[in-house]
Amino acid sequence: MPEKPIPEDDPLVSRSLAPHYLVAMLVLTATLFWALWDEDIGQRPWKAFQNEWKTRYSAFLKNAHSESDTSENEVEGNPDYLALKQAYQQAAQSAAPRIKEINEKLRDLAAEILAVQNTFTDRRAYVSASTYAIETETSASSKQSKQSDLAKYEQQITTVNYPDGSKKTYDYPHLEETYNDLRNERTALSAELGELIKPVNEQKAKLDAYVTDHMVSLTPPQLMGLLDKTEALTPKIMQINVPEANIVDRCESCHIGIREPVKLTAASMSAKGKKPDEYARAFTTHRDPELLKTHDPEKFGCSPCHQGNGRATTSIEKAHGTYEHWLWPLFPRGNVEAGCQTCHAADMVLVSNDVGWTLSEGKDLYRQRGCVGCHRYEGYDKEPEDLLSIAQQIKQLDQEKTGNLKQSAYLMKQADAATTNDEANHLNDQAVALKVDNSKLDLRLVQLDRTTKSLLQDMKKVGPNLKDVRLKLNKNWIPVWLKKPSDFRATTKMPNFRLTDEQIKAISAYLWQSALTDPLPKHKPGSAAHGKELFETRGCLACHSIREGDQMEGGSFAANLTRVGEKDNYDYLVRWVHNARERTRPYCMYEKRDIGPEDYARKGLPYVFDLEHTRCPNDGHELQVQNMTVMPSLRLSPQDAEDVASYLVTLKKQEPGAYPDAAFMDDPQLKEEGKKWIRHYGCAGCHEITGMEDEGRIGTELTFEGSKPIERLDFALLTEVAQRGSGEPIVDPDDLARLPEGPAKGPWYDHKGFLEHKLAEPNIWDKGKIKPELEQLRMPNLHLTKEQVQSLTTFLMGSEESALPASYQYRPLDYRRDIQEGWWVVKKYNCMGCHQFIPGQKSSLMTMARYQDTQDQLPPKLLTEGARVEPEWLLHFLTNPALNDSETNRNGVRSYLQVRMPTFSFSENELGKLVRFFQALARQPFPYIPDHAPVLTAKETEMARSLFSSPAAPCLKCHATGDPAHDRTATAPNFLQAKGRLKPDWVERWIIDPQAISPGTAMPSGLFRRENNHWVFSGPTPPSFQGYDKDQTKLLVDYIFQLTAEEQRRVSASMGHARASSSDIPSGANAAGGSGRK
Amino acid sequence: MKTKKWLAMGILPGLVLLAGCGKKEAEEQPAAPAASAPPSAPAAAPIDPATAASISGTVKFDGPAPKAAKIDMSQDPNCAGSNTAENVVVADGRVANVFVYVKDGLGSRTFDVPRDAVTLTQSGCRYKPHVLGVMAGQTIKIVNADPTTHNIHPTPKNNRDWNESQAPQAAALEKTFAREEILLPVQCNQHPWMRMFMNVVKNPFYAVSGPDGKFAITGLPPGDYTIAFVQEKLGEQDEKVTLAAKDSKTVDATFKAQP
Repeated sequence: MPEKPIPEDDPLVSRSLAPHYLVAMLVLTATLFWALWDEDIGQRPWKAFQNEWKTRYSAFLKNAHSESDTSENEVEGNPDYLALKQAYQQAAQSAAPRIKEINEKLRDLAAEILAVQNTFTDRRAYVSASTYAIETETSASSKQSKQSDLAKYEQQITTVNYPDGSKKTYDYPHLEETYNDLRNERTALSAELGELIKPVNEQKAKLDAYVTDHMVSLTPPQLMGLLDKTEALTPKIMQINVPEANIVDRCESCHIGIREPVKLTAASMSAKGKKPDEYARAFTTHRDPELLKTHDPEKFGCSPCHQGNGRATTSIEKAHGTYEHWLWPLFPRGNVEAGCQTCHAADMVLVSNDVGWTLSEGKDLYRQRGCVGCHRYEGYDKEPEDLLSIAQQIKQLDQEKTGNLKQSAYLMKQADAATTNDEANHLNDQAVALKVDNSKLDLRLVQLDRTTKSLLQDMKKVGPNLKDVRLKLNKNWIPVWLKKPSDFRATTKMPNFRLTDEQIKAISAYLWQSALTDPLPKHKPGSAAHGKELFETRGCLACHSIREGDQMEGGSFAANLTRVGEKDNYDYLVRWVHNARERTRPYCMYEKRDIGPEDYARKGLPYVFDLEHTRCPNDGHELQVQNMTVMPSLRLSPQDAEDVASYLVTLKKQEPGAYPDAAFMDDPQLKEEGKKWIRHYGCAGCHEITGMEDEGRIGTELTFEGSKPIERLDFALLTEVAQRGSGEPIVDPDDLARLPEGPAKGPWYDHKGFLEHKLAEPNIWDKGKIKPELEQLRMPNLHLTKEQVQSLTTFLMGSEESALPASYQYRPLDYRRDIQEGWWVVKKYNCMGCHQFIPGQKSSLMTMARYQDTQDQLPPKLLTEGARVEPEWLLHFLTNPALNDSETNRNGVRSYLQVRMPTFSFSENELGKLVRFFQALARQPFPYIPDHAPVLTAKETEMARSLFSSPAAPCLKCHATGDPAHDRTATAPNFLQAKGRLKPDWVERWIIDPQAISPGTAMPSGLFRRENNHWVFSGPTPPSFQGYDKDQTKLLVDYIFQLTAEEQRRVSASMGHARASSSDIPSGANAAGGSGRK
Repeated sequence: MKTKKWLAMGILPGLVLLAGCGKKEAEEQPAAPAASAPPSAPAAAPIDPATAASISGTVKFDGPAPKAAKIDMSQDPNCAGSNTAENVVVADGRVANVFVYVKDGLGSRTFDVPRDAVTLTQSGCRYKPHVLGVMAGQTIKIVNADPTTHNIHPTPKNNRDWNESQAPQAAALEKTFAREEILLPVQCNQHPWMRMFMNVVKNPFYAVSGPDGKFAITGLPPGDYTIAFVQEKLGEQDEKVTLAAKDSKTVDATFKAQP
């Protein structure tokens, strides 16, 4: 084998791979370390959180001072605290002189007002009575003489004795002026006082927050225990695992303090002197620990409410689910209540302390603003669907009946031919059972018929009935309104549809030409001045508002009436005010048309349709006999209705005649075009329109809008803008102001961004597109405020198809279901406009200036209504709040209130729901079984009477007795109504501590005190009570429940109310009812 | 002949429907009468009138005649006249109102249901007659001749029961019973003393004893028969008799006074 020469340039000799190996080795080593680092730290960011937690929480616990420990001084000696305290004191000092000054002025004013009031109210009562006499006087001559009498009376001079000793004399007009001036001055001063106190209060709040951040309600040993636990913590994944609901939530690995028993704020968890960082924000305790009590985290986890990716632990973004393709990102801070909706879709009102108001507002807006007119949402506006389902049930039951009959006939035939008697009897029994079944079915059918009637009664529309436009409206106003409703009435529910002039012409032409032309009864003009008084006192302002902008007063539930005189006809208004439910013609769903007098005449029937006459004369079907409005009847007399309408037509900024002539509305050629556009825009979703009664909803269903994958939300040409966050597409300043968080600053390609932009400017997705008229986005601009956009966005974000088991849905079957169902009715009719249902909730009336000085003129609070009244009574009262069939122009219980409990004409269905609601809200057993009422002995009666009429407890001073003279100043119901209305147990609680039941009531607490385990009267007791060892409260209650009119009259007379009642009518019909012109 | 039966079968369920279910259901009368008519008799020889036999007799009573109790009808002033209980009517040792029928011996023979109705009248707050014989499926016409309202309430064991009101001068009620049932009580709940008995049988060979205790049954084909005598209080007595062609036999029965 020949030897090969060694090549001169041998790579093995001349080249080295060492550098390569070195580099590779370094890279691999680095990778190893990286892997190790990543394993321990990079993939486990929560470890850093937990280590940081140990440090900060231990520090907090060491610095925390126990409230039980006498260490308040230590906190208060802290320089930070001292600085805050100084700021507070400075604020307080600088405001103090002016506050003192105002308070003194207010005190003087109060005395002066009282002085004037005494004289003024007497004279006003006389003037009102005379005015009423004049108005009801039929003879012209005596009318005139009475008028001159009145004028003379008004000229008479009276003297007012001021508290400072001075005397002044006034005639009536000046007296009134003085009185009003004084009151206005007081209102202005009160307002100024509020402004002055505000910064002081803010400083005080800061000071208090400092204390709560450094004081805890735990004992020192408990604090020590927490500290030990914290210091012994070794980092680990903290996980909630609920297999049956497929919940795995590791959120507490970082949010480790969420369930701590002390309140942790971002400030208290920050490193000393530093601003709160991401650690501090993560370590806070839950915002509402009460919620965690009802939603145990061990069962509910975190993500069912908050969403996000509970399993992820590798980064904040991953855990919060705020990355692409995760379908359920964490609900943003402003929309956090969306989480409630995922399980609480069946609730209308959902409030726990501070939580739930946004969502509840969203749910309410969805109904009130008519979203439901275009967009179906499970549970909303159920009546039409229920009617359909009942029609189907009826059909099914009819079929079942027919089947039973056939089967029964067959069985009977078999029986007659049977060979043995046993067999025959057996078959006969079966046949008989089937017949009994049919009777049951018949009864069920009767129930279904009644439900149908109820549903027709419950069915309401958001907007007015447009079949009445010819009777109701100023023709020329219609096109102006349609152009942009919010220009005419800024707060209207009617949205802006961006209609072209051609569309407006066509739509108004159709509405005008298809409307009813039945004649309206003519009314003589009434007294606008009296109408104004009625309007302001009867409670119209609980729902309606008056005046605009900052001057606006009243409720936001119904229309603002500032310009109603420009658009409405007087005669129609009279009918509307008298009874808004009164319909022009009944509507037959079966024949799909309005039934007129001619239909009735053909059958020889009188043209009468109301809740007692609901059958179609042609075919016996149930008719819609009411206007589908929630507006109730205030049971005004016809004259009063004329007066109110007379006042309303004076509300205008320009004359009705000033609107440009709209003769085109009579052009028949426009009609078909108009119909097309009305259908296109879905007007019939909110309005009744001839020929459109059966139109379906034009929008997409929103029940599960929050679950839609983001790809299915059409951002159109703005998709990239939203993804990149490159600017804000909305330019209109009004619409821009609707965005809850202002113009977009970053990417907004998510549900929140979509919904907020859509609600702020509904046609935003048409931007940059060229579309034919019929394909442009139809959704109108609802001119919402940014708070409203936020509420609706929250509601819709939470509208998800939950992945949780059905048992997680809040659909209780016990008393809580009654509460749930009741709220829908309560909100539907705006009961909260007048009444308080939840402590802290303000009714519209409560916020009005008129009632600030006269709280006892407000409608009653209903915090414990179910415990207060008998359900049977409540049912009766809700049906007929006058508690009287013939004399309805009055309040049945609180005759002294000017504000009127209206008649809502509730259906059987809603009556039942309301009564059950109040019982359930107060956790009362249903049905109610009254306790056996004891009969007092003569001695007990004597004792109770002496208590009842005791000068120290002058019950009859405030409570009405039926004596008109006395009841003019009454501020509480007549005792004669107690029996049958009130529950004795409640009354006893009430007389012991009324303030605890209805805070702010005129009825004082402290009438009784506890002594030897019994309730005894606080004032001096008569000698007969010597040795009486039972509850004196009970004795008094039993006495009240057996009080007779005669007894009351005797007691009243003996107490010096000379003109005692001579009438046995349980309540003074004449106090505030009757004329109402005091 | 066949049609009549078919007709009756059709009317019967229809009537019951009418009675039980109100007017709406009346529309639901079975469309065609029963595929399930009673199995027709397997070719029994028709009765030849020329060979028909007859029986007659007297129902007697052994012992002192029970005294009929007086009935107080004063609760309803519209019930005029006097009234006595009719549960056992005996005069001169003869028992009236005994139902006599051929209980056995006719084999599988079937008989046409008579087209004529039998009538039950309520008059003077009494049922007339007190005992009624009727063939299964035969129409019973019930008439109210009183100026007061009665209700007719049969309480059968083997038929369906019903209870209907009949106002004065109301149209006659027409009813049938489909199955054989002896001593089917009928009463009026408003006048508790009113009580009578229907006897529903499957053959036309029955009679009710008259005030003199006599009865007669004719047209029987020759054969061996069991004749039953039924009385609401005194019970039943059966007598056997053999009839040749054209026989005319006497069958008597005697009820003993009950202690």
